[in-house]
Parts: sequence; C-alpha cells; structure tokens
Amino acid sequence: MEHSESRPLEQEVSTLIVQTLKLKIDPATIQPEAVLFGDGLGLDSIDALELSLAISQTYGYQLKSSDPDIKAIFSSLRALANAIVKNRTK
Amino acid sequence: MHDTPLIGPYSPDDVLAWEPDGSRTARQFLSDVARLAESLPDRLTVINLATSRYEFLVGFAAAILRRQLTLLPQSRAVQTLRRIAGDYPESYALTDRDDTIDGIESVSMQHLQGLAPWPDEIPRVPLNQVVAIAFTSGSTGQPMPNKKTWGALTSVAHATGSRLGIKGGDRASVVATVPHQHMFGLEASVMLPLMHGLLMHAGRPLFPADILSALADVEGRRILVTTPLHLRACMTEGVRMPQVGLILSATAPLSQGLAHEAERHFHTEVHEIFGFAEAGSVAERRTTAGDSWRPLDGVRLQSSEAGWIVETDYLPVPVRVPDRITVDTQGLFVVHGREADQINVAGHRVSLGDLNQKLLEVEGVQDGVFYLPEEGSDFVTRLMAFVVAPGKTSEEIQRVLRTHIDPVFLPRPLVCVPSLPRNATGKLPQESVRELARQWLAGQDHGT
Repeated sequence: MEHSESRPLEQEVSTLIVQTLKLKIDPATIQPEAVLFGDGLGLDSIDALELSLAISQTYGYQLKSSDPDIKAIFSSLRALANAIVKNRTK
Repeated sequence: MHDTPLIGPYSPDDVLAWEPDGSRTARQFLSDVARLAESLPDRLTVINLATSRYEFLVGFAAAILRRQLTLLPQSRAVQTLRRIAGDYPESYALTDRDDTIDGIESVSMQHLQGLAPWPDEIPRVPLNQVVAIAFTSGSTGQPMPNKKTWGALTSVAHATGSRLGIKGGDRASVVATVPHQHMFGLEASVMLPLMHGLLMHAGRPLFPADILSALADVEGRRILVTTPLHLRACMTEGVRMPQVGLILSATAPLSQGLAHEAERHFHTEVHEIFGFAEAGSVAERRTTAGDSWRPLDGVRLQSSEAGWIVETDYLPVPVRVPDRITVDTQGLFVVHGREADQINVAGHRVSLGDLNQKLLEVEGVQDGVFYLPEEGSDFVTRLMAFVVAPGKTSEEIQRVLRTHIDPVFLPRPLVCVPSLPRNATGKLPQESVRELARQWLAGQDHGT
C-alpha cells in the first residue's frame, strides 16, 4: 500500500496542523482517517489557507483548489500526508 | 432617468465572464438571463447560492427581470439559511451544482444550449426596484435585513469606478477572492465589472497558487478584488504574480506595512474600500498614502445624536456608521475601531450579542459568552467562548453551534466552566471576561 511510505510523516503533519492552527489538542489524538474539515476537527477555509502556507513553507508543496482531488487531499490526515509525500520539493 | 440598462457598455461579442470551460460573451449572458428568467418559479424571493460568480450573476439578473428579490445571507450555515427562508416563506434556493438545502425548495440552474438573439433593446431596471436584501448580524440574534435598490448598487459601482479611474469599455478583467454573496463582493466583483463593461473571472481563488492561475487565466489590465488575509497569504508564499493593474481590498483594515509590502510585491497601487452591509461601499483610500478615508462621490457624513450617519441619494434613510470615526473639516475621516458589540474575524463582521444569543439557544447551555482576544501575531485571531453547561462536553456544544453560526466564528477553544463572573446585577463586564480569558490562557501555557 502507498500508505506505508507516509506513515512517519502523518505524525509530523498532525503536529504541523495542531501548531499552525493552535488547536489545543494532542497531535496524537488526530485519527489518520478522520475527517479534518467540517464535522471532524471543524476546520474551515481560512484554516485551509493557513495550513497551505505552512505546508508550502515546510515541504515546498503549493496546494491548489484546481487540483482535481483537492477535496480528497484535505479529507484526512492520511490523505494529506500522502499528497505531501508525492509532491514535496523539500 | 427612472431606469437604467441591466449591463454596462458591452458590445454583443465582448467577453463578459471567464469560466473554466470557456468565455461568456455579453450576447451569451443576455441569452442565459432571458432563458433562466423564463424558467424561474413564480416566487417573491430567492436565495442565490451559485458557486460560480458568473452563474450567480445570471441568477441575480434573471431574478431582477422577474422582479424577485435576491436574499444575501451572511453565512451559509444551514440554520441561517432556514431561518431566513422561514422569515421569507416565498423563498427558494437557486444553485448551480445540484446542491440541496434540507427544508428549502431548491432549483438547480440548468446549462442551456444555444443562443437567443441579441435583444433590440437591453432590458432596463427601475432605479427604485429593490433587487437584494443583505443581512447583517444584530445584537438580538435576529438577522437584520438591509434592502438594496438597483439605484444603490449601480450608484456605488459608478462612484467606485470613477474614484479608481476605471472607464467604461476599459476591457480590464476583475479577479476576486471574496464571495459574491457578500455585500463587498457583490459590489466590487459583480456590479463594478458589469457596469463598466469589464470581464469578470467566475472563480473564487483561495490559495496563493489559485490566485496566480486565476490572474493568468485573463488578459489585459487585471484588477484583483481581495482581502488583507489573501494579500498576506500571497506575500508569505512569495508567489510571483502576473502583472496586476490595481488591487482593491476590503472587509478588514489593511495595515500600512502590509499595504507597502503588497504594492512592492505586485508592482501596483493598493486601494481600500470602507463600507458596511447597511450602506454598502462608502469611502476609499490608497492605504500607503495615509490613514484618511475619502467618501465616494455622493456620500455625505453627518453628525447626529446617535453618532455619525451616512446620507446618499440612493439610501431611503440615513444609516449609522457602525465604527467609531472622526471627521475632519474637509470631510475626510479616520476609523478608530468597531463599536463595542461589533467584532471582525478574518474579514467577517458579526455582533457579539448575536453570537451569545445563539450560544444560549443551545440545549443544555445555562450561561455562556464569546470573547475575542487582543490581536496577536497570529494569521487570524479567533474567538473563544466560556460556557456553563453541566453534563455537556465542549465537542457536543460545538457540534450544535456549527449548524447555527458561520464556521469562522466557531470558538477556539470553547471552554466549559462552572460559572461566569457575573456581578451583583447579573451583568458580565467585559473586563471580567478578559480576566477569565487571561487566566485560562495562562493556565494553558503552564499546562503544556
């Protein structure tokens, strides 16, 4: 499974999410498959913008809404980590 | 002149909008509007939820021709939409993506093939026709309706255009990051291009890379209609943008520092609009030139017992300025901040009283208060809330709140407390809430 290569990154990305958005939760409690936006962690489009800047600065990956699978990328921690593995430039 | 044409100086084959699947000419637009107008249900009011700026405009124009009022909710939260639909029982929702809102009749805009002929005369709209209602958040928890006439929207578009040096037939292109359902978005990204014969980009770019590609989609002089938040994101990301002719920012104050940086980054002038949903756009400034705002032509500021009020020929009654301002002898003014009850989070204005009311309506909540911390170095300063709700968890309360308020106002965090520091008369002084927040934040810093 392609998932395996992003597993170590999931922890790193969940810490990035918590720190960037000041979520006051333990990064370890974010379930890799759980929904990030809307009902899950309750993140909104401003969080998406903030998070995209942090991802760009940390991994050199610029997110775009026109990516056909942008919804999928932001759907969970695992999907986001997978996308970073595929697209990172640093 | 009691009526004016629906569109500005376009020739039939001028491109009016850019959509991902191709451009829409003025001819196509009038054809789309005429066809949609025929197929709209026979109702008085419409909640236009179209995601494409072009489709929104087609729906808005079709509703105008059918003399239907377009309702502009302050958020897309389901309960907000339902409450407004409840207040206007003749409403239906107009959507462009087959979205449906539970409990509201939804009409999906169909893509029609073919082209109706260019009309002998462009449809005209009476200046006194009420075409939209913008809702603002009042301290009582009820959305407050603000009626917008065709005359008001077109006057603001012309006054803004003339202040910014935009001439009819310029063929410039407007790219906007702001939602078209909000007052500033409607004025600057829909009415401004429509009245000046400009091209509008139908998208609503969010990330810096999106803004870059939207700007690259269009040609000629580009006008970027945006907010301080998106400007800051573009600069943080350091994306090299195509040549932009003008940047127009609103919804939250732009700092001098950010404005200077943006002018250097984009090699262009950054102008700001000051306004509020009750009156629409009121004044303009080039931020780097100073703090003073210059009222748009036709806008008069008058002192009254209730504070400063705005008077224009197109507002049926004078409107109170919701900010604390001082006006100099030349009529220029400086803004000192919001009135106590009004706050701004990421460019969205809301009444704290309204939010508190919605919090108290959550089942199991006995007492509660929202608090906006002082602005810090964060990208966006978010609200927090203290709640007395024995037996409830903060997650449970958040889940209910999410359906009642715009996500941007959801508290980060929502803290459950045994009681709130109300004084002997039952009031909750702002200083006490600030102290509660300070103590809680200090406890967090020690705890983690």
